[in-house]
Amino acid sequence: MSPILFYLFAAMTLVFAVAVVANRNPVASALSLVVSFLGLAALFVGLDAYFIAVIQVLVYAGAVMVLFLFIIMLLNIQAEERRKINVPAYAAGGLVTVAFIAQLWFVLQKFELGKTAFAPLAEKHVDDVRNVGNTLFSTHNLPFQVIGVLILVATIGVVVLSKRELK
Amino acid sequence: MIPSLSLEITVLLLGILMLLVESFSRSDDKRGLAKMAIGILSALVGFSFFVDPASGNAFYAVDATAHFFKVLALLTTIVVLIMSLEYSSVLAKYLPGVTPGAGLGEFYSLPVFTCAGLMFMASAVDFLLIFVSLELVTISFYILVAYMRRHTASLEAGVKYLILGALSTGFLVYGITWIFGLTGETNLAAIQHALATKAVATTPLLFGLMLLLTGLGFKVAAVPFQLWVPDVYQGAPTPITAFLSVGSKAAGFVVLLRVLQPFLGVPGVGVKVLAVLALMAALTMLYGNLAALPQDNFKRLLAYSSIGHAGYLLVAVASVSDTKATFGSAGVAVAFYLAGYLLMTLLSFLVLIVVARHSRGDDILHFNGLAKRSPFLAFAMLTAMLSLAGVPFTAGFYGKLLVFAAAVQAGKFWLVGIGILTVAAGFYYYLRIVAAMYWQEPGDTTPITIAPLTRTAIGALTLAVFVFGICPQPILRQLKDGGVSAVQENAGKPPQSADGLRPWGV
Repeated sequence: MSPILFYLFAAMTLVFAVAVVANRNPVASALSLVVSFLGLAALFVGLDAYFIAVIQVLVYAGAVMVLFLFIIMLLNIQAEERRKINVPAYAAGGLVTVAFIAQLWFVLQKFELGKTAFAPLAEKHVDDVRNVGNTLFSTHNLPFQVIGVLILVATIGVVVLSKRELK
Repeated sequence: MIPSLSLEITVLLLGILMLLVESFSRSDDKRGLAKMAIGILSALVGFSFFVDPASGNAFYAVDATAHFFKVLALLTTIVVLIMSLEYSSVLAKYLPGVTPGAGLGEFYSLPVFTCAGLMFMASAVDFLLIFVSLELVTISFYILVAYMRRHTASLEAGVKYLILGALSTGFLVYGITWIFGLTGETNLAAIQHALATKAVATTPLLFGLMLLLTGLGFKVAAVPFQLWVPDVYQGAPTPITAFLSVGSKAAGFVVLLRVLQPFLGVPGVGVKVLAVLALMAALTMLYGNLAALPQDNFKRLLAYSSIGHAGYLLVAVASVSDTKATFGSAGVAVAFYLAGYLLMTLLSFLVLIVVARHSRGDDILHFNGLAKRSPFLAFAMLTAMLSLAGVPFTAGFYGKLLVFAAAVQAGKFWLVGIGILTVAAGFYYYLRIVAAMYWQEPGDTTPITIAPLTRTAIGALTLAVFVFGICPQPILRQLKDGGVSAVQENAGKPPQSADGLRPWGV
């Protein structure tokens, strides 16, 4: 991936991620999130990780986003009211962010491995769907199964916390 | 000999069985479910001693540390379920149920799933399994904390815990990513192997470790990541507060011990990480104990006290010898302290639930004259408070002794100094409860009735606090022989290869 494209998609991801938080209208926030996810998917394509890129678009930008919009519609969430700006909280949050970015900048300056260019992959075509599937069901099966339990627990939680009347 | 994973699988099957029974039974009385779970989990504590030591794999270690923390997780869950039974009348009041037992079945089964997560965490030696099981535990806690839907404090606690928990998870994952990027491995033994054989830049490694410490700092409630603790602990249903302060803390510490271990031997990294940990330990002890002084709500006081105890545990973690990169006596101190902390904290929450139900409130003044209303409960609470404060002949004293001994061994005298100062502050606020129980007149003189199961649990915990304090040798020997210090057993051994997982050819 040419550096220009990388910076373009990285900027797209970041700018729209900020827009998710900054927008007061929930529908606009949700749609900004879609664009941010698309930028991220493009970055994955740049890393030759086509499978993750496709999944990113299908699952996150597609399914999850439709779900978000449905929830916004069902709950009839209105645009947020303008709140009073809490100066100390904003200042502290800003300070932590600036410190974190400064630290990251410093680390990246000293990070030699990050500056070396890696040789291109030996095979142009990586069979990543098969590889991911193989890994999930063989070597990484245990964490994969635990994720199943995690999703079960999350489902129970959603039902218990959102059902109007428990029986 | 049974394969070790069968313990977790049984716990998970138990959770699913409880959900199924819950949905198909016609009875409104859900207490049988919790009692069944208590029975099966107690049996599992027994079975855990017959685990085949060779049944681990690249993700999942079967060693003394794992066994010890699994027993801790099981015991905590059992006591939490007993508390939940006692608490169910309060809980039902804040649930939007149409039948009397609505929503209680899920409340009994979610801790069982959490327990499975804690047990996975105890064995996890790969960042992937560590992360997944940590999330299993955290997500079930999000639900449990916000469980009382008609109680604003519980909902507020749930939202706060969710947002800060998600943030801390972000830090944790980012840290793991840096370490994976530098070493090309997620398995802890493989990371150690890679660090020993390849030249890895220290600055980015330290950056990754600091992010990791931030994430884990949230989980164990260390300063400066402790701001969520008081509100969440006070708002959550009381059994869940107890579960949070014991279960999630124990799991956080076992992960901390395992995760730090590969990095301690790396020159220029281990010393710095330990210095940061020592600083965190000092701040945590000071903050937890000083902020607890003016509290009037007992749950909030226990929240601050749990921050303070996290500080003592961090002292032990920070006292790992810099040169040998082994946990040795510090590891034993952490394990013993956690075991003692579990006993006394669960004991005080158990008494709190009984008292709060009868006095309709969980402030310190509701304990006034408890000695006249129920000498048994007052004595149990006295034991818990003395042990939390660290009076000799209790588990808490011996735990602190081990922690400070480890610190002296590591030459960290300033930490011991701060520790002793904060213990003195601790005496003040723990003994306030004792004073209220024994020297104040009761506002309400009706005697308190206690369910037999609760009475047995309180009796057993009280006894255990004294046993741990008076003759700790057998337990210590068990810890040393089996070697909680064996956290680094797998050190230096080339990892079992997981085929085709190396991202760039190692």
